[in-house]
Amino acid sequence: MKKILLLAAIIIPLISCEKLLEENPKSIASETFYNTAAEVEAAVNAIYYPVGVSQLTNEINLVEALADYEYGKGSLSYINDYIGFSSANITNMGYLWEAYYLMIRNANLVILNTPNGTGTTESQKNQYIAEAKFLRALAYFHLVRLWGAVPLRTEETMKDIDLVRTPVNTVYDFIINDLLFAESNLPDNPRLVGTPSKWTAKTLLADVYLTVENYNGARDKAAEVISSGKYSLVEIRSTEDFVKIYGPDLVTSTEEIFYFKYSREYGLGFLNFLHYPSDGYKPYGANYFAHYTKAGHPFYLNWDNNDLRKQNNFYLWDIALGNDTYLFKKFIDPQGFTNAPNDWPMYRYAEVLLIYAEADNRVNKNPTPLAVEYLNMVHRRAYGYDTKVSSPVDFKIEDYDEDSFFELVLQEKGYETFDEAKRWFDLLRTRKAQEVIKETFNIDMVTSMLLWPIPVGETGYNKLIGPNNPGY
Amino acid sequence: MKKHYPLGVNFTYSLKKISKIMRIGIFLLICGALQTYAIDSYAQRTRLSIDVSNQKLITILDQIENESEFYFLYNEKLLDTEREVSITEENQLIGVILNELFSGTDVIYTIIDRKIILAPKYLSEKEEQQQITISGAVTDALTGEPLPGVNVIAKGTSNGCLTDINGKYSIVLQDRNTILSFSFIGYSSQEIPVTDQTVINIKLAQSVSALDEVVVIGYGTIRREDLTGSIASVKSSDISASPKNNLSQALQGLASGVLVQQNSGQPGAGIQIRIRGTNSIQGSNEPLWIIDGFPGDQSMLNSTDIESIEILKDASATAIYGSRGANGVIIVTTKRGKEGSTKVEYSGSYSVQSVSKKLDLMDATEYAKLYNIYTKEKQGAEYFTQDQINKFGKGTDWQDIIFRNAPVQNHSVNISGGTTKTKFSVGASLLDQAGIIQSSDYRRLVLRANIDHDISKVFSVSFSTILNRTDRKTINETNVTRWTLEAPPTVGPYLEDGNYRLLNTVYPFSPDDLGNPVAYFNEVSNKNFSNNVMSNLALTIKPIKDLSIKISGNASNIDSRSDSYTSTKMPQSSSAASIGTSNALQLNFDNVITYNKTFNSVHNLIVTGAITYENYVYKNVGASGTGFLSDVTETYNVGSATTIGVPYSSYSDWTLLSYIGRVNYSFKSKYLATATIRADGSSRYSKNNKWGYFPSAAIAWKFSEEEFFKNVPIISDGKLRVGYGETGSTSISPYYTLDMLVSGKVCLADKLYTFFAPGTRLPADLKWETTSQFNVGLDLGILNNRIRLTADYYIKNTRDLLNTVQLPRSLGYATTIQNIGKIQNKGVEIQVDAALFEKAFRWDISGNISFNKNKIVALYGGQDIKGSIYSVTVDNSYVNVLREGKPFGAFVGFINTGIDETGHFTYKDIDSDGKLTDADRTWIGDPNPDFIYGLNSRMSWKNFNFSFFVQGSQGNDIFGLTYIHENFLYYQGFNTLKEVLYDHWSPDNPNAKFPKIDYSMTTKYSDQFVFDGSYLRLKDIEFGYNIPLNNQRASWLKGAYVYASGQNLITITSYPWWDPEVNSMGGSNSVNQGLDYYSYPTAKGFTFGIKLSF
Repeated sequence: MKKILLLAAIIIPLISCEKLLEENPKSIASETFYNTAAEVEAAVNAIYYPVGVSQLTNEINLVEALADYEYGKGSLSYINDYIGFSSANITNMGYLWEAYYLMIRNANLVILNTPNGTGTTESQKNQYIAEAKFLRALAYFHLVRLWGAVPLRTEETMKDIDLVRTPVNTVYDFIINDLLFAESNLPDNPRLVGTPSKWTAKTLLADVYLTVENYNGARDKAAEVISSGKYSLVEIRSTEDFVKIYGPDLVTSTEEIFYFKYSREYGLGFLNFLHYPSDGYKPYGANYFAHYTKAGHPFYLNWDNNDLRKQNNFYLWDIALGNDTYLFKKFIDPQGFTNAPNDWPMYRYAEVLLIYAEADNRVNKNPTPLAVEYLNMVHRRAYGYDTKVSSPVDFKIEDYDEDSFFELVLQEKGYETFDEAKRWFDLLRTRKAQEVIKETFNIDMVTSMLLWPIPVGETGYNKLIGPNNPGY
Repeated sequence: MKKHYPLGVNFTYSLKKISKIMRIGIFLLICGALQTYAIDSYAQRTRLSIDVSNQKLITILDQIENESEFYFLYNEKLLDTEREVSITEENQLIGVILNELFSGTDVIYTIIDRKIILAPKYLSEKEEQQQITISGAVTDALTGEPLPGVNVIAKGTSNGCLTDINGKYSIVLQDRNTILSFSFIGYSSQEIPVTDQTVINIKLAQSVSALDEVVVIGYGTIRREDLTGSIASVKSSDISASPKNNLSQALQGLASGVLVQQNSGQPGAGIQIRIRGTNSIQGSNEPLWIIDGFPGDQSMLNSTDIESIEILKDASATAIYGSRGANGVIIVTTKRGKEGSTKVEYSGSYSVQSVSKKLDLMDATEYAKLYNIYTKEKQGAEYFTQDQINKFGKGTDWQDIIFRNAPVQNHSVNISGGTTKTKFSVGASLLDQAGIIQSSDYRRLVLRANIDHDISKVFSVSFSTILNRTDRKTINETNVTRWTLEAPPTVGPYLEDGNYRLLNTVYPFSPDDLGNPVAYFNEVSNKNFSNNVMSNLALTIKPIKDLSIKISGNASNIDSRSDSYTSTKMPQSSSAASIGTSNALQLNFDNVITYNKTFNSVHNLIVTGAITYENYVYKNVGASGTGFLSDVTETYNVGSATTIGVPYSSYSDWTLLSYIGRVNYSFKSKYLATATIRADGSSRYSKNNKWGYFPSAAIAWKFSEEEFFKNVPIISDGKLRVGYGETGSTSISPYYTLDMLVSGKVCLADKLYTFFAPGTRLPADLKWETTSQFNVGLDLGILNNRIRLTADYYIKNTRDLLNTVQLPRSLGYATTIQNIGKIQNKGVEIQVDAALFEKAFRWDISGNISFNKNKIVALYGGQDIKGSIYSVTVDNSYVNVLREGKPFGAFVGFINTGIDETGHFTYKDIDSDGKLTDADRTWIGDPNPDFIYGLNSRMSWKNFNFSFFVQGSQGNDIFGLTYIHENFLYYQGFNTLKEVLYDHWSPDNPNAKFPKIDYSMTTKYSDQFVFDGSYLRLKDIEFGYNIPLNNQRASWLKGAYVYASGQNLITITSYPWWDPEVNSMGGSNSVNQGLDYYSYPTAKGFTFGIKLSF
C-alpha cells in the first residue's frame, strides 16, 4: 500500500497541470499591436505586401494584352481575339481582385486600430492613417475601373461577410474623400521612397478627377504638383539614359512620384515574363515572354523611328514567329539572377504634365500655351532634347483644336507609358476602347470585356453580391 | 476465468470445448524418456506457500491456480480429485509441492510452461510393449528453430509424447498404419501417416487462429478471445519479404477496412491510409501509429523489426486513444526477446525494379507528321519538310532516358534471447533503394534494441530504442515526368556542342515551360536526411498480486535537414542553394495502473486507469542564396551567394493531457463487456473548449460457449460483438484559435522592410471534432477453427466537423474554420482465414474484402468545399467538390456530347443558357472505391513454399489530368500518344477519339477523362525453398531459406495511363482525391532473397 501512495505522489502533480494547456506561441498577437510608431509602421508596411506578389503584377499582363499596342502570348493570346476571356484569364483576374482587397484589408486594419494606440502622437496617427487611406484609395481606383461597382470594404464594413456592391460614383466619392484626407495629412516628403507624400496624393487625386471628368479638379491638382518644384523630368540624351527612369538598380529619380518597388530578394521581383531565354536582357530565371509585337502592327508602324522611346522599347528577336517579331526592353535586368528589381512606375512626373495638358484642354475647350508646353516637355525629351528649351519637334498650338489636341495627348501618353499598364485605363476612361480595337485589329470587341467578371471567390460566398457584370 | 481444464472422459467433447490447449494432453506422461521433462522456467522461479489440512485435492489445485499462473490438465476419471490432503509448505517451488501432494499415489506430474499435467503412472507403463520406434525433430516452419514441448500423438490412441528442448522426439508405436499428429499451441497441427518411415521431421507453421493469442490493445493486452472490439492483426509472417520502404505499403490488402493508396511511386513518397473511410476535412485522416506503446513514425522501422501489427478500427477499440483515435490506430510491436537460447536471424534480398508500363508515345516521324497537320491548319504551311521527316526515324525515346532498372537491397540481422530475468532483442537493417527514375533514391539504416529485465518479484524494467537514419534523394516528379512525356522525340537532350538543349525553344510551337529532364538530373539535386531516435523506458511495479503499475516515458526526436542545389550549368537558371533544418521533439509520459482479478473462477475483471501527457515542439531554420561563383561549395557556403535570401525560422508546440479509464469484464469467457472513457485536454482549442470526453462501451457474447450450442459440430467458435463509442480529432494546428500576426517583407526604398499583418485565415473559436461509431461484429471458427471468419458492420458519424469555410475574397480573409458539418461512413468488412490443407501439403488462404460508403451529410451553410484549381491550359478549374449528399471528393465536370462538324468536342449545356459556364459542371465521378480486397495464399510441400498475394480496388474513378494535358494540347508542341495521330478528327474520320488538330481551347474537364480506376494486381508472388541442413556438418546453422519473388508482375485494369495506383494530390486531409497528374509511376520488380537462422 505504501508503494501505491508513493506512486500517487508521483502522478498527482500531473493532474494539476492545466496550465500546460495554455498556448504561448512565439509570435505577436493582434490584440497587443498598433501601439508604438514602429508597430504601426510595420502594420502600414503590410499594405504594400500584395504589391510584390505575382497576382498583382499580373495586372500588367492582363491590361497590356487588352491594350491596342501589342499581342499577348500563351493564355494571353486569347485576349487579343477580343471575343471574351479564357478561364485562365478569369482566374488571374480573380487573383488580382484578392490582391487589391488584401491591400484594402490591411489598410482598414491600420485605419481602425491606429487611433487606439497608446504610444503614438496625434500627428503620427494621422500620418499613418493618411498613408493607409492613400493606398486604400489606390486599390479602389484600380478595382472600380476594372470591375465597376464593387463591395466597399471600409474600416466599418470590413467584418461584414456579406456586402452589396457600391455604385461606381459612390466608390469614386469614397476614393476622393480618402485622398483629400491623405493630401492634408501626409508629409511633405515620403516616409520612405516608395511611400506617398502629400504630392503623391495630389497626383492620384488628379488622375481620379480626370477619370471622373472633373477636369478643373484634375488640372488644379496637377498644377499644384507641378508648381511645387519637387519634381522634374529626367533628361535623356540617348537610349542609354532610360535606365535612369526604369533601370534595375535605380533607387529613385526626380521624376518619380510613386513607384511600386521591387527587389531581387525574397521573391519580391517584378516582371519575370518579358524576355526570351538567353536574349541578354534578363539572363536567368524562368523568364519567358508574355507579350510581343510585329513590325507590321499599326501602333509600332506609326511610331516615329527617331523617337528614342521607340528605339529603347523594342528589340527584334525571332521567337519562331517570324523575324519581324519584337520583344520589349523598357524593363531589363542584364545582371539579374532570378527576380528583376525594376520598379513599376505608378506615377511619373511626365504623366502629371500630360494630365495637366489633357485636363486644361478640356477646361478651356482649347489647348492653352501652358498645356502645349507641358506636352512638349515630354515630347522633347523623347527625342533627346532639353525639356525646358523649345525644340524642332515641338507641337505648335495653332495646329490643334480641343479634339485633336486631346488625341495628340492621348497618343503621346501611349508612347510615354508603353508597358506601364496605363493605356487600357486611358482607353476605358475616354470610352475609346472599342473604337481603337476596331481601328487597329479590325475586330468588334465584345462589350463584356470592358468590365471584368466578379470572381467566383466573391460571387460564391458573398450572399449580397447580386448579379455579375454583363456577359458573365 | 476458469483456468483449469479437467480432461473429460469424452475425448471429442473436450477437444471441441477447449480446443488446442487440450491437445497437449495427458499422454506425454506415457513417453518414458520424457517423464522428468520439465524445462520450464516459470516453475523454477515461482514459489508458493500453502497451508491446508484435510482439504479436497480439487480445492488445493484451485488454490494453486488462483495464486499462480499454473493450471492443471487431467482426466477426471483417472484422477481422484475428492481425495483429502493436508499440506504445509512455505515459499516452495511447485515441484516440491506436487511431490508432497502426490507422494504415495500412482499420480505423476509434468510441468510445461504454466501447464501441469497430472496422470496415473500405469498409463506410461503400458507403452513398454510397443514395437516400432519413430523419431525426428519438429521445427518452426518460418524460422527453422527447434520447437520444444510439441505434442506428438498416435492418432486414435492415447499414446503420445513431447519434443525435447532440441525439438527432438521419439515414440514407440504398435503398427505402421498409425497417423502421427503434431500439435503445439500457437501453431497449426499436422497429421502424418507413418507408413514405412522411421524418421519424421516436421515443420510447424504458426497459426493466426490460436485461441489464447494475446492481442495488444491500447495501454494493455488482452486475450483475443476476450476482445469486444474490432481489431485486425497482422503478423510479421504475413508481411511479404519483398522490399518496402514503408510499413503502410506492407499493410496494403492484408487487413480489412484499411485502404492504402500511394500518392507516388517515388521511393520514400507519401502513402495515404484510410481506415474505414475519410472522417475529416480539416484534420488529418491518417491513423495514429503507436510503436511499442508510444506515438511514432512507422517509416522508422524495417518490416523485419516487426513482431506484430494490430489495427484498431471500431470506437470500442480506439476510444482509449480519445482525441487521437478517430482515424483508427495502428499498434506496432517490435520484436522482443524470449527466454531460451540466443537466436540470430539474417535476412537479405536483392531486387531489380523497373517501370511497370511504358506509354505508347509518338516517335519522331509521327511527331513531325502531327505538327505538320497542326501548322498546316494554323499557318497554312507545313513546318517540317518531307526531307526532314525522312531523316527523323524513331528519334529519341525520352522514357528510355529517364527510366532505369533500379536495384534494391535490404539486409537485416536480428539477435534475441534471454534468461529468466533478462530478455533482449537487438537488430540492425539497411534498405538501399534506387528509384526507377534517375536521381531518386532512398536509404534507411535502423538500429533497434529491446531489453526487459525483472529486478525483483515486484519491479521490472524495460527499455526500447530505435535509431534511424534516412537519406533521400528526390526529384520534382511532376516536372520530370511532364518534361519527359512532352519532350519532342525529334531531338535529344544535348546540342551538337555538348550543351543542354533548351526544349522550350526547339520549335515555334514549343511550350514555354518545357525543361530538359537530363539537365535536371545532372544539375539539380534535392537531398534530405533525417536522424530519428525513439526511446522509451518503462518501470513496471506489481506491489500486490493482480495489480500492475507501469510508469513509462518516451522521447522521440527527429532532426532533419534538406539541401537543394541547382548548379551553374543548369540552363536558364543562375545557381541556387537552399538549406532547411528542423527539429521535432515529442515527449510522452504515461502512467498506467492495471488491476486484473478473477473472482470465484468465473468473473474476470481488468480495470485500467491511466494519466498521459504528450508534448510536441517543432523548430526550424533555413537559408538560401542564388548566384554562386563555383559549384564546388554546393549548399555548404550559402553566404558566398551573390543574392542572399532572407533566412527563416519558426516554432510551434502543442500539449495533450489525458485521463483514461477502462473496464474489461468477462463472465466465464462467455459474456464480455468493455467500457472506456478518456478525457483529453488539448492546448490547441479555445479556452473553454480545451477538454473533450470520449466514452465507449461494447459487449460480446461467445455463443459457442453456451450449452445449447455445443451440439453444433461445425461451429467451433463463435462470438458476437456490439460496440459504440466516440473519438475525437485534434484537427487543427496549434494557435489556430488565436489571432496571430504573421510577418513578411516588403520592398521600399530599395530595401526590405518587415511587416506584420493577420494571415488570410480568420481565427474563430473552435471545439473538438467528434466521431461516433457503432459496430456489430461476428467472429466464427468453423471445423475446429480451420476456417475463421470475421465480419463487421459499422456506421461512423463525424460531427462538429472542422471545416475550412470560404469567405468572400473582398473580406481580405480567404477562409475561416468552423465547427460545422457532418460526414458519415458506413461499411462492411469480411475477413476469412482458412487452412485448406494441413498435412504434408499445407495450404493456407486468407482473404478480406471491405465496403465503405462515404457521404457528406452537412456543410457550413450548405456551402460546397471546392478542391484546388488545376490548370491544364484548356480548362482551369477544380475537379473535386465536397457537397452535401455526395461522397468525399466527388468529381465535377462537363458532359461530353461528342464531336461537332468542325471537329471539336461539344458539351451538354445543362442550364440551357447557350453558354458553357460553371453551372454546366455536374457529377462525373467518384474517387472512392466501392470495395477493396486482398487475397493471400501460402502453400508448402516438403521443403518448398509457394505463395502469392493479390490485391485490388473496385469502382474508384481516376480523373486523368495528365491524360488531358498530354494529349489534348497538341498546339503546344507536346509529344502525345500515337493514337492522337492515328485517330483524330478529320472530315474522313468524323467519329474520332481525339478532336481536330488545331489551335482551339474547346476541350473541357469532362466525363470523357474520368477513368475506371479498378484494378486487380498480383502484388507479390514467391517461390521458396528450405535448404535441408546436415546438422553434423553445420550445426551452427539452424535454418536456411531461399526465395525468388516478383512484385506487381500482373495488373488487370482498363486504366489507360501509367498505373491505376495513383493519387497524385493525396495527403492527410486532401480534398483532391483520385487525380493523376504527372506522378512518379509504380514499379514492378524481381527479388532474390535468403533467410538464415543460427
